[in-house]
Amino acid sequence: MKAIEVENLSRSFNSLRAVDNISFSVEAGEIFGFLGHNGAGKTTTIRVLSGQLLPDSGHGRVAGCDIVTEQHRLKPLIGVVSEHQNLYERMSGRENLEFAARLYGQEPRRIDAVLELVALLDRAKDKVQNYSNGMKQRLVIARSILHRPQIIFLDEPTRGLDPVVGREIRRLITDMSKQGVTIFLTTHYMEEADQLCDRVAFLSEGRIVALDTPNKLKTAHGANQVNVTLDNGESISIALDGPDAGEQLRQLVNDGHVRTLHSAEATLEEVFIQLAGRRLAE
Amino acid sequence: MNFNIISAITRKDLIDAIRHRYLLTALVTPLFVALLFRVMLPSMDGGKFLTLVVHDAGSSGLVAMLRETPKVDVVQAASADATAKEIETRKAIGGVVVPANFDADMTAGKQPELTVYVNHEKTPFEQAAFRQLLDRMVRVFSKQPEPARLVWVDIGKGANDQPAARVSLDQILLPLLLILTFGMTGAFIVPLLIVEEKEKRTLDFLLSSPASLKEILAGKALTGMVYTLLIAGLLLGLNRAAVRNWPLTFLTVVVGLLFVVAVGLVVGSLLKNTMQVNTWASIVLMVLLAPSVPSLGISRWFDTVMRFIPTYYLSEALKLSMAGTVSSKLWTHLAVLLGCTIVVFFVAVWALKRRG
Repeated sequence: MKAIEVENLSRSFNSLRAVDNISFSVEAGEIFGFLGHNGAGKTTTIRVLSGQLLPDSGHGRVAGCDIVTEQHRLKPLIGVVSEHQNLYERMSGRENLEFAARLYGQEPRRIDAVLELVALLDRAKDKVQNYSNGMKQRLVIARSILHRPQIIFLDEPTRGLDPVVGREIRRLITDMSKQGVTIFLTTHYMEEADQLCDRVAFLSEGRIVALDTPNKLKTAHGANQVNVTLDNGESISIALDGPDAGEQLRQLVNDGHVRTLHSAEATLEEVFIQLAGRRLAE
Repeated sequence: MNFNIISAITRKDLIDAIRHRYLLTALVTPLFVALLFRVMLPSMDGGKFLTLVVHDAGSSGLVAMLRETPKVDVVQAASADATAKEIETRKAIGGVVVPANFDADMTAGKQPELTVYVNHEKTPFEQAAFRQLLDRMVRVFSKQPEPARLVWVDIGKGANDQPAARVSLDQILLPLLLILTFGMTGAFIVPLLIVEEKEKRTLDFLLSSPASLKEILAGKALTGMVYTLLIAGLLLGLNRAAVRNWPLTFLTVVVGLLFVVAVGLVVGSLLKNTMQVNTWASIVLMVLLAPSVPSLGISRWFDTVMRFIPTYYLSEALKLSMAGTVSSKLWTHLAVLLGCTIVVFFVAVWALKRRG
């Protein structure tokens, strides 16, 4: 079953074509990565799919709802974690969730459950302005799952967070996915996408330039070779598709001089550079 | 429109607003100004003495009551004709000529005539305070709604220049304070509630939630209305003696409120951040507030220009409704104000569509 279906979707801002005729689909329960440079159109896509913006052309269905004509049905079925920690800073963590619960018509008792899930129960009464970045991000995630959405859009959820908090957020994402929630994720971190996503799409200047599983992308676009380091420090690269690759490798191992042996498949970042023409961080 | 969503947004904003430094300032400013007026300006409860010249031909109870009033110094004039001269000599605020059979006529319900002199060499606020004092005392003394016919006579330098200044202190101050309250709503409170959601990106959260843009704005408008009604109610309650027709005054307040909330929606839609609100709001506030000033009779030219600002009609309607004057003039003022409200609402819708 498709959680998200997009067909020829476009959205412009004046003369800038932020999203240019993109088509893709996401299966229910999948973690789908949407990767691209700043300004590639990732956030615009999320805003169009979550009903915050109307598309100029094309069609989209999210959780079975048309993104233009069925927004009132769509919005209770999705959760959005914005790239900004858009919380009410003068209110406490609990007050932020109480407000969200009223908007979504949720029972207040659900609040304690999500606060516990993101390990903020003991700080629930503190004002958000006194929270650390990591705590704010956990609260934004708590708010997005409060109403048990079918699909969650996460826009750069780990940006600017320290590695420990980043790992904690990734754990939350994995947990949500295990519960059957579809995750639509944008990130700058290729390792994160590689680790979390079932499939990824590379976006460049508003267009999708590649879409597949991370493994298939790496295999299709990476070098098919192994790197061997010998006892004397010498490094040798052996192309696996060469005629005598097997014999060469066997000989080195038999000689007993091999210290390390690594496959040299491309990283997701290298694939991205090949396809999009520049590094993701640029 | 889902009322649960609107009420959730209003509830959030009502609590959050009092934690917001600028919003809190905007909310309490009219009350602070009211307090300032009470302290600084002479009135029945004020700290200054009002010297009053009286010619009492028949030992009226009204004069006895005036003598017992704190902060009022009553001086006896030798005759009715000498009263005006005595006022000028003693630099008194004014004087009263009480006819011999005043008390008896009033008891008989004959509405006797009471000549009241007002010294125009005193400030407009002092004159207004005196008018208010005398009006109240006659009302309290007679315990009737229309007890006596007060014949006001202006004396002193400039008496002929300012015939329009025959108003009580309440008629000047209360509409001014109410329009200040309304102005704060239109210029600061509603725009800040909208702009802050844009600035802090919480509008993105609201728009991705089940709340529609219409519901979000309705919630903001309702917050502005609740706070403004509260402050306006407090101001009217504290000056309840000046309100002679509560339903009519309430109706005028509600119409005025709709207008300023529409202004607030336009301002909030057009501006992007708190700094812009702070810059533009003062100008908007001055424009909204200016028409409540002409009652002091600054100049006819100024008065004519002010008629182009809708709050002129609100100010006039407030004066009439508070005084309990049900006239075609009042309905005309309210109709003009309602017309302006509809136009401003259309501008707000246009501004929001443009933003979308």
